[in-house]
Amino acid sequence: MTLAFDPTTGLVSPLVHGLFQGSAYGLLGLGLVLLYKSNRIFNFAQGEFAGVAALVAYLFDTGSKGLPKVPYAVAILLGVAAAVLVALLTERLVVRPMFHRPRVVLLVGTVGVALFLIAVEGLVYQDIAALRPIDQALSIDPIFTRLDRVPVLWSDLAKLIMLLALAAAAFLFFRLSRMGTAILAVSQDATAARAVGISVERTSMLAWGLAGLTGGIAGVLLAVPPFSTTPGIFTGTILTTAFAAAVVGGITSLPGAFVGGVLVGLVQEFASADLPLVPGLGSIRGGGELAVAIVLLGILLVRPKGLLGSET
Amino acid sequence: MSLLEVEGLRTGYGLLPVLQGLSFSVEEGTTAVLFGLNGAGKTTTVNAIAGLQPVWGGSITFDGQKISGQPATKIVERGVAISLEGRHVFPKLSVRKNLDLGAWTARKTAKQQLDLVFSYFPRLEERLDQMAGTLSGGEQQMLAIGRALMSKPRLLLIDEGSLGLSPKLAQTVFEVVSRINDDGTTVLLVEQNIGVLPYADQALVMEKGTLTFNGSGKELGESGDLRKTYLG
Repeated sequence: MTLAFDPTTGLVSPLVHGLFQGSAYGLLGLGLVLLYKSNRIFNFAQGEFAGVAALVAYLFDTGSKGLPKVPYAVAILLGVAAAVLVALLTERLVVRPMFHRPRVVLLVGTVGVALFLIAVEGLVYQDIAALRPIDQALSIDPIFTRLDRVPVLWSDLAKLIMLLALAAAAFLFFRLSRMGTAILAVSQDATAARAVGISVERTSMLAWGLAGLTGGIAGVLLAVPPFSTTPGIFTGTILTTAFAAAVVGGITSLPGAFVGGVLVGLVQEFASADLPLVPGLGSIRGGGELAVAIVLLGILLVRPKGLLGSET
Repeated sequence: MSLLEVEGLRTGYGLLPVLQGLSFSVEEGTTAVLFGLNGAGKTTTVNAIAGLQPVWGGSITFDGQKISGQPATKIVERGVAISLEGRHVFPKLSVRKNLDLGAWTARKTAKQQLDLVFSYFPRLEERLDQMAGTLSGGEQQMLAIGRALMSKPRLLLIDEGSLGLSPKLAQTVFEVVSRINDDGTTVLLVEQNIGVLPYADQALVMEKGTLTFNGSGKELGESGDLRKTYLG
């Protein structure tokens, strides 16, 4: 029996790592929820919005591929802007022409966009690209604090804070702003929305722009060591779990993206840790994914609208 | 000059033509009613006027300005609002938010219009925070008309406002529509319910995409053959 459990850090280590890993799922999941809530579309290109942002930010930060080297903050902004641009182009060139088709057609359309973006990323840069984390850029100690000897990194903390801020902002946008209400109206009845004078095209652009923004922010926050970005890595490694997180939290609930992300991260980390309560669990290959699958299926069976969702 | 002038209107779905040269006009301050059997092209007509249906040919003029070919947003801004067939309320938004969205193009007058809507439909004020999808059919119809009124239209299009309502409730809707008209809004109703006839200054009857009768409501009511043929 393998006992890799570290008694010096107890439950704190999986708690901290789960929280931050969950933030990554939540950041990508937030964009998924945004688009589902506004367009009823499962966007399989969300991971590559993050990938594009990370790659563009990296290329500008390092001055690679003939691009000018720019200050770190500018590189990050350019990365996020690239993700927004790609999302807007996706809306204009793929989603809008197929808007009245069955949603499954649009879903496959977004798969096509993801594959296209992976190909383009591969053409531009084949190597591993790891962005400098914020502490390196600011030349400060990477460790923000220690919880029971477990280091809490600035770069991890940034993910969690940004996820909280974005989820709260998006929640308030839909709850309090006229444009947020208009986006919801379009998702419920596009014809009626047109009838009252709402531009369905404009609201769709806005929703995709916001999805690009959240995807882009996710990309520049996640593509830092020990993680990095290569073509398709966000789609291949995080997107599937982010989908699970979004569904667990409630695919129509923006706070649910946060709750689902963190919950899935915690489940995954605790199931991967070799805790004394469940000796040997950590030695099961894919134990974390197995635990997430069980939680996901359990929630789908018991509460199909997710923990905070208001509809299926 | 009429408030609304439809001239040689042609439109349809895909390759299938529905309206083939429809022409009529509606005078300001009147209530006009468009009758016809299912499939006659009534809904297509009002949707084309509201900018929800592409116009293939002909023209639609509102207050002397051509509106055919313009997006629905612009047409609402010009003063044309529609209450759609089937109500089309936003089911998962509250009554309040449904009404707010009705004033999307007319924020400045929203408060004044809201008071007006409540004066026509006091029930909506009692249900303000209720989700629209949980309202009864009659209440949803009130909301659909109220939402259209929120843009302060000069021309209100109401498509099948009495459909699915009890005769008593349908009568109530017609009475409110009459009040709306008395208050200065021109109304074009699409109806199959002949109970609306007493309120119609102008009656139009459509068959297979063309107009077969255009006269006063009284003339249509007295025309036994026409009434029997088209209204059953």
